[in-house]
Amino acid sequence: MATPPTTIQHPARPAYGVDLSVWLRRFRLSLLTVVLLAFTAIVIIPFLWMILMSLRTTGEILMDPYGLPEVPRWSNYLKLLFDPQIRFYRYFGNSIFVTFFAIVLNLLLSTLAGYGFGRKRYAFKFRGWLFALLLFALMLPPQILYIPQFTMMAKYGLINTRWSLVLIYAAGGLPVSTYLMATYFSQLPSELEDAAMMDGCTDLLMFWKVMLPLARPAVSTVILTNSLAFWNELLLSLTMVTKPEMRTLPSAMMMFVGENAADYAMAATSLVTAMLPVLILYLLLSEKFIKGLTAGALRG
Amino acid sequence: MATDLLRAPLQKTVNPARLGRRRKPWGAIALFIAPAMVYYAIFIIYPLLSTFYYSLHQISPIGGKLVTTFVGLQNFVEIFGDKIFFQSAKNTLMWGAIGPAIEITTALALAMVVYFKVPLHKFYRVAWFTPILVSGVIVGLVFRWVFNFDWGILNVSLRAVGLEELAVNWLGRRDTPIWIVIFVHFWATFGFSFILMLAGLTAISNELIEAAYIDGASKLQAIWSVILPLLKPTVITVLILSFMGKMHAFHVVWVLTNGGPLHFSETVATYVQKRAFGWSSLDLGYPSALAVTWFGVTVIGVGLITRWLRSRVED
Repeated sequence: MATPPTTIQHPARPAYGVDLSVWLRRFRLSLLTVVLLAFTAIVIIPFLWMILMSLRTTGEILMDPYGLPEVPRWSNYLKLLFDPQIRFYRYFGNSIFVTFFAIVLNLLLSTLAGYGFGRKRYAFKFRGWLFALLLFALMLPPQILYIPQFTMMAKYGLINTRWSLVLIYAAGGLPVSTYLMATYFSQLPSELEDAAMMDGCTDLLMFWKVMLPLARPAVSTVILTNSLAFWNELLLSLTMVTKPEMRTLPSAMMMFVGENAADYAMAATSLVTAMLPVLILYLLLSEKFIKGLTAGALRG
Repeated sequence: MATDLLRAPLQKTVNPARLGRRRKPWGAIALFIAPAMVYYAIFIIYPLLSTFYYSLHQISPIGGKLVTTFVGLQNFVEIFGDKIFFQSAKNTLMWGAIGPAIEITTALALAMVVYFKVPLHKFYRVAWFTPILVSGVIVGLVFRWVFNFDWGILNVSLRAVGLEELAVNWLGRRDTPIWIVIFVHFWATFGFSFILMLAGLTAISNELIEAAYIDGASKLQAIWSVILPLLKPTVITVLILSFMGKMHAFHVVWVLTNGGPLHFSETVATYVQKRAFGWSSLDLGYPSALAVTWFGVTVIGVGLITRWLRSRVED
């Protein structure tokens, strides 16, 4: 972040004993802080409440929804994941499977295309048009695509498989990823290319050995942005997968809470479990997350 | 020059006219660009065109196969008589008008506050962004509890301060659910607009702002006449992103109210889903026509917003 100009010196005021303006400033600042903290409380309290509930029993919650856990019930999490009736780990596995393979496919296509669209060496007459066509998809809501996507998956027998989600998620993330990769590749100096070409390097080798390793920051942005979207997606997951054991976390959570509406403790546990991996990653890499998501959206 | 001419006949492979100009590496171009474009054509362009095609047909699964019958514009005519569609269109349009307005104003104010580094600004920045990371499913389920009639946070707080009569069944009435949806979606997405605004602010050159200070401008004057005009492109981008988001929001509504009660909080996105896969109406043509119609409305909306803001920039 650049430093904003807060250090401007205003002309010194004459000190008549107590400087009223200083007090006024302090008062305004503390008022602002109170307002902002209240707003922040509205943002954070639902999270805290959810985590507290996940560590209690439903009996305790019914007695007092806002109490602290008598003893933290970590066993709720074990029960959720491995209880033979619930076996939430399956949905975790499905979500990891779908997110992982969709990211791999997406990266494979978008790094290559980003390189082709980003470098001057590969410019040709209608490249700009093709790139614009690709970016056009950023305007498209899922509703205008997903009915034929469903019939397409049905036609090839992919309904109720995790691969249907892999294929569609990878396509959905393609425009943003290619855009991010192309922008990054276009900023790398062309001397690199010239030198390698002189040594008789082929284009593919050049991409793989020289350029892709240099583009690691862009690759990590693409991974972060997309995995968040894939991990949290509900609409397609509801549509393409109706078999309970094939569900990904968002739809599984919805069903689980729907079927166990009265078991608040387990419901809260399932929400926290689904959210935890992302939240931990965010607390570790918050700057990268913020930068990555901003880059994905501000395409000017 | 002379030596070049002498050498030329010896190097048969080099055409002097093309010296310094490399041949276009078509093979490499195809290798890099074609896979993504083919994939894109199959999974995005083809479905997009199919939706338009579907919207003119009746598509019903009969005996395990999809049977397609051409019906012309009948689906679109039917939309005009669809009361539930008008209810959901009304809700979504209201949301598309009010939601972005609230979001943009809040995000702008919050971004200013963090930009001027009030105490705790680093903490705010991380905290306000957090809801973005959480799935709409989690948001919807948690806020179903927050607005629970008996023991939700809102009603418990209202009763605690003696406003017993205000503690209503927020998600079960005809008037409040859509407002709850608007609020919860705001809660879930304002952090994104906030971060985009902040990115726009930090991109503004400090020198311009300092020059305003030196000319004797107060902080408010500097914000009003220097920062805001320079921030306009960012505001337009964020406004359009936010508008498109509200017009097609699905997750939060689906989980929080599922459009209910009795379609009072139905949005077009949830209605399309119900018509396509929820109800056993067994027709994919009509929901496709709904999706096409709504996409058209959104494009017109984006066009109007852009035109309106452009004309205001010129003033």
